Amino acid sequence: MAFVLTFLLRRLAQGIVVVFLVSFLIFALLRLIPGDPVRIMLGTNVSEVTLEQKAQELGLRDPIPVQYANYIYDLVRGDLGQSYLLGESGGAAPTAQNKQGGQITAEAELAREAEIKTARAPVLKLIGDGLPFTLQLAGLGLLFTFLVALPLGLSGGLKPERWQAKLAFFTGSLFISLPNFWLALVLILLISSKANLLPSIGYKGFAYTILPAIVLAVELAPVIIRGLSVSVAGSMQQGFVDGGIVRGLPWSRIVWRHVVRNASIPMLNLFGVQIGGLLLGGVFVTEYIFDYPGIGKLTIQAVLQRDFPIIQGVAILAAGVLVLVNILVDLIATYIDRRLKY
Amino acid sequence: MTAEIISAEAPARAMRGESMTRRMFRQAWRMRGFQIGLAIFAVLVLTAIILPELSGTTATKPSVKERFLPPIFLEKGTWAHIAGTDQLGRDLFVRSLVGLRNALGIGIASVVLMFVLGTGLGIISGYRGRWVDTILMRITDAQLSVPLIVLAITILGVTRPNFGTIIAVLVLSGWPIYARVARSVTLAERQREYVRGAKILGASDTRIMLLMIAPNVLPPIAFVAVLDVARMMIFEALFGFIGIGVQPPTPTFGNIIADGTKYIVNHWWIPTMPGVLLIIALLSINLMGSALERARNKIFAGA
Repeated sequence: MAFVLTFLLRRLAQGIVVVFLVSFLIFALLRLIPGDPVRIMLGTNVSEVTLEQKAQELGLRDPIPVQYANYIYDLVRGDLGQSYLLGESGGAAPTAQNKQGGQITAEAELAREAEIKTARAPVLKLIGDGLPFTLQLAGLGLLFTFLVALPLGLSGGLKPERWQAKLAFFTGSLFISLPNFWLALVLILLISSKANLLPSIGYKGFAYTILPAIVLAVELAPVIIRGLSVSVAGSMQQGFVDGGIVRGLPWSRIVWRHVVRNASIPMLNLFGVQIGGLLLGGVFVTEYIFDYPGIGKLTIQAVLQRDFPIIQGVAILAAGVLVLVNILVDLIATYIDRRLKY
Repeated sequence: MTAEIISAEAPARAMRGESMTRRMFRQAWRMRGFQIGLAIFAVLVLTAIILPELSGTTATKPSVKERFLPPIFLEKGTWAHIAGTDQLGRDLFVRSLVGLRNALGIGIASVVLMFVLGTGLGIISGYRGRWVDTILMRITDAQLSVPLIVLAITILGVTRPNFGTIIAVLVLSGWPIYARVARSVTLAERQREYVRGAKILGASDTRIMLLMIAPNVLPPIAFVAVLDVARMMIFEALFGFIGIGVQPPTPTFGNIIADGTKYIVNHWWIPTMPGVLLIIALLSINLMGSALERARNKIFAGA
């Protein structure tokens, strides 16, 4: 047990370093490349003075290390800051862009600023609102992935020279060659608008998750099919298979208890390193294309509008999740195969 | 993040005479998948280079009379426009071919650059060790934890995207895996007798890294590079689709499909046909990459 604890502590410490590094990289990157969030926030018809005032109020004119220190200070108290643009109700906070018209008086500007300040939504709440939708999409996507990839990958690995392996290979090659946004378009066209089988675009119930989940699964499945067939085929060649036959074990027992168990370690590692990243990236794109109200859509919009706090919050969350998944993967791996060291 | 996707155990029984790289390519060359992939790829590349110049139809010049012509296999399709025409009467096949040219250029250039950058940093990291190594590996950890798409949109959203910035973004996001593999190859190689011998004979570190270690990096990762060309082409198309890729009027798969999306219900071929050409190209590259992967596995297993 003591090993497990020291292992966990060491990995968590490393993980925290990585998360901090990610947060700093994103933080610095956002501030170094051009594009002023205050300009987008207040619109084009405000004076330079107001602009500067607002920027200073938000701390955007401080040196980057100072800004970062303030951000981290809030972060450790569980405050991820507030969106620059999104309002409490989820819609856009009232900004100058919403109010057309000629000259704006100083009082009006002040009043509006107060309005903006109170109406800005906390990042934590925005992420919390989107999270259930994203988890639902990711979960269903993974389910579809496994339904397709496990049988194909397993049978492909067990029968390396037969048609099963060819089927696995060609399905994998085809899926990996389908650009997700194109597939999404074609599915929307064929299944939603022509055949009217499933709804898409937006979210008004569970059925809206199915098409995006299929797109996600097509993106993830090839990685699993390929990894599984390679590692199953690899462990089929090892001595314990012949040993099992000599010992007179039933074939199914050799396959399930020995081959699959041995093949599952590289699969788990694959899962941590590749699937985690792919799933995140895939969720972002599919949500954006299907206008699905999760964290992915939130983030892509935030990036396009320079809404720094949201981008930072999501990046930290994503890095944290990936770090945790990887620790979990290593824990499960040592549980399956006791020979592995913590 | 300790797990390496690609095990880089250097094969102990590297044969005399022929290099690993040559043996791997010879193995792949004999595989059906590689041959098919290469054949399709060659035909596509040649067509993409030659046809837009010869056909006389330009990729960007609109033609009002020929708007919304369907592809050849539908009623009213003509041989003059085998994939049909778009909302401005431009030939979709020629446009897609020019798009393919651009996508291939970006894909190949970015993979070559990320290979060079990643391998270079990885070899230095593995060879020097200590704090250089620690810092570099933590950076790769951090970078592997940020989805590429966030990084890409953040940068491309504000710079006016062109070939240079897109390649830069792709290189920036793709180099860590090459650095990881190059590093673990270096760690294994620098213990070997020939490296230690060369050191005793007075070879400089640069010489050892460039002439002795670097050639060992290619075999374990060549297939990743080939598959990455396809992956980068998908990203390039995706950027174009979101509107942060190479801007119109330069045709790219992404912006052709994005513009065509508005007409999808009545003229489905406009966003669909360019996608089909892209998929065929990606498939041919992926077939070659997978064949290389199997060739690598065979050689590393010592077959």
